[in-house]
Amino acid sequence: MKKLFIIFSVLSLLVFIRPALGINTNSNAQSTLPVSTVEQVEENSSESFVDEAFDGIKQFYSYTGFANAEGGNLIMIFIGIIFIYLGIKFDYEPLLLIPIGTGVILGNIPFVAGNQTGIYETGSVLNYLYFGVVKGIYPPLIFLGIGAMTDFSSLIANPKLMLLGAAAQIGVFATFLGALYLGFNLPEAGAIGIIGGADGPTAIFLSSKLANGINILPDGTTVKNLIGPIAIAAYSYMALVPVIQPPIMKLLTSKKERLIRMKPPRAVSQKEKMIFPIVALLLTTFISPSALPLLGMLFFGNLLKESGRTERLADTARTKLIDIVTILLGVTVGASTQADIFITKDSMLIFGLGAISFVIATMGGLLFAKFMNLFLKGDEKINPLIGAAGVSAVPDSARVVHAEGLKADKNNYLLMHAMAPNVAGVIGSAIAAGIILSFLG
Amino acid sequence: MLYMKLYIDQISEGYVILITGLLIVFGALLLLTAFFKFGLPVLLYIYKIITKGRDKKIKDISPNVNEQFTGEIAAAISTAIHLYLKEQHDEENAVLTIKQARKLYSPWSSKIYGTHNRLR
Repeated sequence: MKKLFIIFSVLSLLVFIRPALGINTNSNAQSTLPVSTVEQVEENSSESFVDEAFDGIKQFYSYTGFANAEGGNLIMIFIGIIFIYLGIKFDYEPLLLIPIGTGVILGNIPFVAGNQTGIYETGSVLNYLYFGVVKGIYPPLIFLGIGAMTDFSSLIANPKLMLLGAAAQIGVFATFLGALYLGFNLPEAGAIGIIGGADGPTAIFLSSKLANGINILPDGTTVKNLIGPIAIAAYSYMALVPVIQPPIMKLLTSKKERLIRMKPPRAVSQKEKMIFPIVALLLTTFISPSALPLLGMLFFGNLLKESGRTERLADTARTKLIDIVTILLGVTVGASTQADIFITKDSMLIFGLGAISFVIATMGGLLFAKFMNLFLKGDEKINPLIGAAGVSAVPDSARVVHAEGLKADKNNYLLMHAMAPNVAGVIGSAIAAGIILSFLG
Repeated sequence: MLYMKLYIDQISEGYVILITGLLIVFGALLLLTAFFKFGLPVLLYIYKIITKGRDKKIKDISPNVNEQFTGEIAAAISTAIHLYLKEQHDEENAVLTIKQARKLYSPWSSKIYGTHNRLR
């Protein structure tokens, strides 16, 4: 091993000092000589050997990342590292940011096209894993896990909070309109709008159906492939919920409103919990059948949890299964940000629209909560802060609401109340996705 | 000009989707709200009539039986459980080191004794 290493280093040293020694032979003429002539110590063959080695190393170098790196790749790798840093240091959704950040690095390692390496090259391993994103397979599986995790009891106890989840969906439609004004096509705008739903799987599902780079518009052009930018925007803003939401909450609510205490939700019987997924499944999917893969899996997962007989299945769905899918989804979505495809004007616009959509969705929820308070009296009044949890981003936005509530009043625990609009937001954004899909799909 | 027309059409269609979409989302969740506010109690009531008190699980826990069980007692019990679970282990050093025995020869591991005591 040591000898090999010495030989290799001597050879490479030779190659590097060759120009300095002034040996400059025509390599093309001699490159046809076989390498097996190493034992002949003639001047001629050793020359050719050095040339061959030099050519090999040159070719090897042309395949390395150093030769192929472009500014875009380096920027994206830097962004990937920032994602990982944010996930580790500030604990912003590390389960998402660390796989995505790693994926961003993976997808931006420079390579020579045509060797089935990159995520967009047919037949590469990453491409096969990416299949689940492109065809919208991963999102429903994630929803299955979310359903098996979610406790809908606070929503069942106080059904009127469901409207807050609907109010926040104004972010979806406002962004949709904004995207149209910026010149996106209808399907593309629909896919961009769903960022306002603050729900990563839903965003990926809808963009894989509408803005997948395969569909053909009525006027003959193909839609752009926006899955990568949309997914990254959705997930990064979801991770940034603790940064985006609090200023808006403070802006739109008065100190007095933030102090409102809500009465604790009533106890919900197991029977009600069992009926909820079935009835909600029937009602929502009858209204919006296009959202069937998402809503169906969500309520199926919840039924597994609440039925009391399928604890094993529920346990798998909310732990192992969702973990596996999250890993695959995170890495492939991250890797889909290959610089030459990702760094475009469209992506920048999508990021801008995404931020605005989160702001509008939060405002919609808060203002609607204040609006509802006009009609509610006494201890029925709701704390408008929980309206902000109407953007889904489960459970981060509920946690943010809780933290903000605690800042105003140290003994006001809003978490359980905030969970109700939070899960309603999941349902609402899935329905909104179904509606957009049925209009534009 | 054609492009302009297309563009305007898109925007107007966008507004249509905006309004109808929002209405449908609100409608759907309003329906869910209404069901769980009014429909579910009715359903549960009907279920109760059909099964005629076969379902006694909720009644099992009557507040009268546990009148003496106050919040203070519950707090005391939970504190005790907490203390028990938290403090049942001493802090132990997780780093294990194996020190070499100073004695180089020991009859314990001597092979020569093993050759003497053969089993017959």
